[in-house]
Amino acid sequence: MYEIFEHTADVGIRARAGDLNGLFADAAKGLFSLILANPDSVRPVQETHIRIDGDQYDDLLFDWLAELLYRFDTDHLLPAEFEVRIDAAGLDATARGEQLDRSRHQLDREVKAITYHGLDVRRDADQWVAEVIVDI
Amino acid sequence: MTKQGYHGPLERIDECIWRIPKSYKPGMNVEGRIFADDRLIEQIRADQAPEQVANVACLPGIQVASLAMPDIHWGYGFCIGGVCATDPAEGGVVSPGGVGYDINCGVRLVRTNLVHDDVRDRIKGLMDSLYRKIPAGVGEGGPFVFAGKEMRRLLAEGSRFLKAQGLATESDLEHTEAGGRLADADPEQVSGKAMQRGADQCGTLGSGNHFLEVQVVDEIHDPDAARVMGLAEGGICVMIHSGSRGLGYQVCDDALRMLRGAPCRYGISLPDRQLACAPLESPEGEKYLGGMRAAANYAWANRQLLMWQTRDAFAEFFGKPWESLQMNLVYDVAHNIAKMEQHDVGGRTKTVCVHRKGATRAFPPGHRELPDRYRAIGQPVIIPGDMGRASWILVGQPGSMEQTFGTTCHGAGRVLSRTAAVQQAKGRRIDQELAQQGVIARARSWKGLAEEQPQAYKDVSLVVTVVHRAGLARKVARLRPIGVVKG
Repeated sequence: MYEIFEHTADVGIRARAGDLNGLFADAAKGLFSLILANPDSVRPVQETHIRIDGDQYDDLLFDWLAELLYRFDTDHLLPAEFEVRIDAAGLDATARGEQLDRSRHQLDREVKAITYHGLDVRRDADQWVAEVIVDI
Repeated sequence: MTKQGYHGPLERIDECIWRIPKSYKPGMNVEGRIFADDRLIEQIRADQAPEQVANVACLPGIQVASLAMPDIHWGYGFCIGGVCATDPAEGGVVSPGGVGYDINCGVRLVRTNLVHDDVRDRIKGLMDSLYRKIPAGVGEGGPFVFAGKEMRRLLAEGSRFLKAQGLATESDLEHTEAGGRLADADPEQVSGKAMQRGADQCGTLGSGNHFLEVQVVDEIHDPDAARVMGLAEGGICVMIHSGSRGLGYQVCDDALRMLRGAPCRYGISLPDRQLACAPLESPEGEKYLGGMRAAANYAWANRQLLMWQTRDAFAEFFGKPWESLQMNLVYDVAHNIAKMEQHDVGGRTKTVCVHRKGATRAFPPGHRELPDRYRAIGQPVIIPGDMGRASWILVGQPGSMEQTFGTTCHGAGRVLSRTAAVQQAKGRRIDQELAQQGVIARARSWKGLAEEQPQAYKDVSLVVTVVHRAGLARKVARLRPIGVVKG
């Protein structure tokens, strides 16, 4: 699950999940809930693979979201479902979604970038929590 | 991380300046200084922006003070509305966070010879044709595509490259800060990813707080300066606010990644990771500066192409070439940038790197970087306000060189977060409210309009009054919006 929290000029995403894989998937859903007014309209008909190297969870989260943003900006790929596998060397992910179709997908906001400001991935009792602020 | 107020010290220096003493935090190399009046300082205390002013004071080689303009608000790393000058000879650093993701986000003002009566009854039609012509909104590309050698030339030469393509005039270049081109831009420091993001976005508005407004001059405060700029009461102008689009965001993103280990390598300890930096005289610092300048050049080209398309739309709508409508560029200013400039510091002339993040250059009369036309009145400064109230045109004053490294404010500054603004807009039609106030808005996203509603911003006139009183910039004219295009 994820929630959106406020930050004066920008917006934050807070994700919570039982494991890291789910945490990264939920953070990605949070990101596209900011971009798209109707995220449920995206059909998982196209698949893309993403590999990111790194062993610091906060850098990995940053790079993962930045890569999704880059692919959206250049290939206009809207992802809706995420399968993330994190191991000691980095992250492997499959994202499923479809090409942007302005007749069905209503775009809300331009997320310019992911920021390091307040970036945090932590274990909180029996769950994982991630916080990231994005530049609008 | 929720919104909390600032409870640290703010000592009054004079009517318009407040101090955060160097003793507030270990690691501060200089004090913090915030320009504000009594009313604005209360709004400024409401979030963590003053804490960020203190954090910036910890950067190596910072000169005089960590400065903040009256429109400051909480950003990431640096506050928005911050100014920081660093000296390379004293180990001074450059920080991408001191420029922001939207490198050379800025504003330009175009005048016309039309008056309000010429457009009063046709404003809806005019806004419709601008809305059709100007690419705006999330991920929207435009008719201009740059790749390969052309993209590298655009990055190296900025607006000047467009002149060779017949998309800019010599007069346009003269009336753009830095002539629309920073020297020493290094296209090699712009990644393939960044070029790909920017390939079809030059000449597009984007979304967020970017806009194109048709405005009417409604108050003249300095008739001589206004005359020199071609502004008269009742005259129609166009204001364009945009930056370096996806290309600039990626350049900043790449730089922050490059700098991940740099503070540690150079023995710099930072209170916030988003302040990541490297010495100006280091390979990392030079790489960032080269890439940032290239992105700045892209941004000037972007605003030039937006203006070119605006001229086209006006020409079509009024059935006259833009030259007969005298749609001349008054000026174009950057408000997210870092530049090497000469300033007087403690009686010595030094070359320092001035970071302006949400702050505008405001050089006084006589400054050698000003075009001939403005040498006697000072540099025009364009301050966009919110879309319901007003925007301002100012001119730089000598006080800016004495106090703020030739800098003034950049806009109104937010008071409501984006989420709070959307909450307050539930069940309302912002476009209809604006129409009742005489502003025709065309926007691609309801949420975008809700987040940018006038109530989300401070009153820009209060902000401008502070910089006017502090002697940073002088009021010339107030402009009122009558039409808005948003992404």
